[in-house]
Amino acid sequence: MTTTSNPGGVAALSVRDLHKSFADVPVLKGISFSAHQGDVISILGSSGSGKSTLLRCINMLETPDRGEIALDGEVMRMKRRPGGGLKPVDVRQVQRLRSQLGMVFQNFNLWSHMTVLQNVMEGPVHVLKHGRADAQAEAEKWLDKVGLYEKRDDYPAYLSGGQQQRVAIARTLAMHPRVMLFDEPTSALDPELVGEVLKVMRALAEEGRTMLVVTHEMGFARHVSGRVMFLRQGLVEAEGTPSDMFGASGPERFLQFVSSQHHG
Amino acid sequence: MAQAGIVEMLGFGPQGWGQVLLLAAMVTFLLTLAAMAAGAVFGIAIAAAKSSAHRGLRALGEAYTTVFRGIPELLVIYLFYFGGSSLLTSVGRLFGGEGFIGMPPFIVGALAVGLISGAYQAEVYRAAALAVVPGEIEAARAIGMSRSQVWRRVLAPQVLRFALPGLGNVWQLSIKDSALVSVTGLAELMRTSQKAAGSTNEYFLFYIAAAVLYLVMTTFTGRAFSRLEAHTGRSLRRAAR
Amino acid sequence: MIMDVDFLFETLLKLGRAVPVTLSLVGSTLLLGAVLACLILALRVSPYRALNHAARLYVFLFRGTPLLIQIFLIYYGVGQFQIVRESVMWLVLREPYACAVLSFSLCTAAYTSEIFRGALRSVPAGQIEAGMACGMPRWTLWRRIIAPITLRYALPAYSTEAVMMVKASALASLITVWEVTGVAQQIIQQSYRTLEVFLCAALIYLLINFLITRGLALLEYRLSPHLRARRASQAS
Repeated sequence: MTTTSNPGGVAALSVRDLHKSFADVPVLKGISFSAHQGDVISILGSSGSGKSTLLRCINMLETPDRGEIALDGEVMRMKRRPGGGLKPVDVRQVQRLRSQLGMVFQNFNLWSHMTVLQNVMEGPVHVLKHGRADAQAEAEKWLDKVGLYEKRDDYPAYLSGGQQQRVAIARTLAMHPRVMLFDEPTSALDPELVGEVLKVMRALAEEGRTMLVVTHEMGFARHVSGRVMFLRQGLVEAEGTPSDMFGASGPERFLQFVSSQHHG
Repeated sequence: MAQAGIVEMLGFGPQGWGQVLLLAAMVTFLLTLAAMAAGAVFGIAIAAAKSSAHRGLRALGEAYTTVFRGIPELLVIYLFYFGGSSLLTSVGRLFGGEGFIGMPPFIVGALAVGLISGAYQAEVYRAAALAVVPGEIEAARAIGMSRSQVWRRVLAPQVLRFALPGLGNVWQLSIKDSALVSVTGLAELMRTSQKAAGSTNEYFLFYIAAAVLYLVMTTFTGRAFSRLEAHTGRSLRRAAR
Repeated sequence: MIMDVDFLFETLLKLGRAVPVTLSLVGSTLLLGAVLACLILALRVSPYRALNHAARLYVFLFRGTPLLIQIFLIYYGVGQFQIVRESVMWLVLREPYACAVLSFSLCTAAYTSEIFRGALRSVPAGQIEAGMACGMPRWTLWRRIIAPITLRYALPAYSTEAVMMVKASALASLITVWEVTGVAQQIIQQSYRTLEVFLCAALIYLLINFLITRGLALLEYRLSPHLRARRASQAS
């Protein structure tokens, strides 16, 4: 359980008035929030509410139509596109900022032609330009941390979903990200495997990492995150600490949403 | 003597090769048709052999496809042309004839290209047969259809439908292979354009003209196959895009 | 029919001497063809429509016409023009061997580019996104992620294409290149023993094809430890 620290300083991540449409269908209609260092924010909402799109705009896998994104005070420079929408000005800035933002995907997306160890080393060696030996030693450390050191020479195809996701987390950690983005990290997992991934995520939260987690796992949102954001129809409908949101006097729509998630 | 202009050379006038080329294209088309027909016969036989329970038959089928998909088409044509001619000549000598009897080029061509296309068609038919849902065959038997009825009413139409795309490919392959039959002297498109080019020294022009005619043939037959596929495939549901 | 063993042996020797020509034709073609194919693929997937269409036209032309016409066009057709004969290209274009390699390469490039294009589309988009999310620059992404995976997917179909090129090499004999089929035809015309010569030549081609498909299969096996069946000792 983390609380917001350094509330007065520069935000680790700041998002202002983010808009995004896909083929004239608006998905994000003006989202703004800030995450300070050590914040663990759970982003909840039904499908179509724009949760994944929000995350993907932050690391520029999608380009927003309007709005501003800043990492540690550095604004992602964008310019107007002729047909409407925005376009990054400097591709290198995008790549640099991306290397400081880690993303853990719903489908793990480990590189299938590389071993587990090679997956974790890939970013540090080819993006951060670290030496091989250093990168390997570090990678082994991260794999040990997520409990998969023994599997380091295996290929992703041989691992279970939960194991692959933990490797993906190690891969992200190896890049020393300022902010970690989790896009429904447990949604593609069999129920028995969800626990091992949540355990790792909890440990990261307790270390004081800055995390944005799009999830359906109410337990995580309620007990591990320090802040909960409820998205509905492309806007932040409600936001607050878990006790505010999940308590009896929490926002009505949110509580309705929560109860609809607890089916069967 | 003034060299005739391009239009005249391609045209239908006295110096024009246009008519001859079009006729040659027709020969190519008919040759390919004959080859595909022969290939269908061979292909079905080989597909059956490869699916049979008998090990020897399967080996035979394997050998056939390996050989005819693995050796140059030109070699096969030489085999039938020179070999066939030698055979015919020997047979002729038996009957007291003299001199060289050449194997009719059209038959050589159709046979050679047919055997080759048969190897490819065999694979197409095999894959198509495997694609038929076994349940449909069982259902037909369950209502009491005889074997030949099951074949005629359920299997054959479906195999044909699944085989169409592959057959379209083999057809295009065979049209292009037919150009090699030119080495036998048959007056198909390749040979004819060669003769035109040689006699007028306009190599570039006539080879381009032949290329265009081949393109027209492959494109239009490609479209025809697409239409056929669309028509026979109308009961199939395509995956949502 | 009794086979003359001496003749068979002699024929095999004569054909054997032409094998290096065939192999070098095939090797050069596959190499040049692969390079050209990457170029065409780049055009084909480029964001500029004109380049797209150019690549599609190229593939359409070279897949829709017989290879023999393409060879003749390059060997006889292009050399017809004064401008060409006076240019530096003539050094290449008047040699039958070079013309053969050139036309074979242009042809295989069309087919190979389509094989690569299909393989490229099969690369899982998520793995590309994971690379982007790390901050990988475009070129690194291509080099480390996209190209290796594309290659692995392309190998099976490429094996078939390589065999096609071995068969195509026989056409070089029609523009006076003395490769195996050309020598075989010469022996047939001199000796009239079609069947024996055919058998020898067929054997040689089948052997070459066997070696090539085996070689590529081995390469595929080596490159895909991640695609092999899971080990029995796999514990979760």
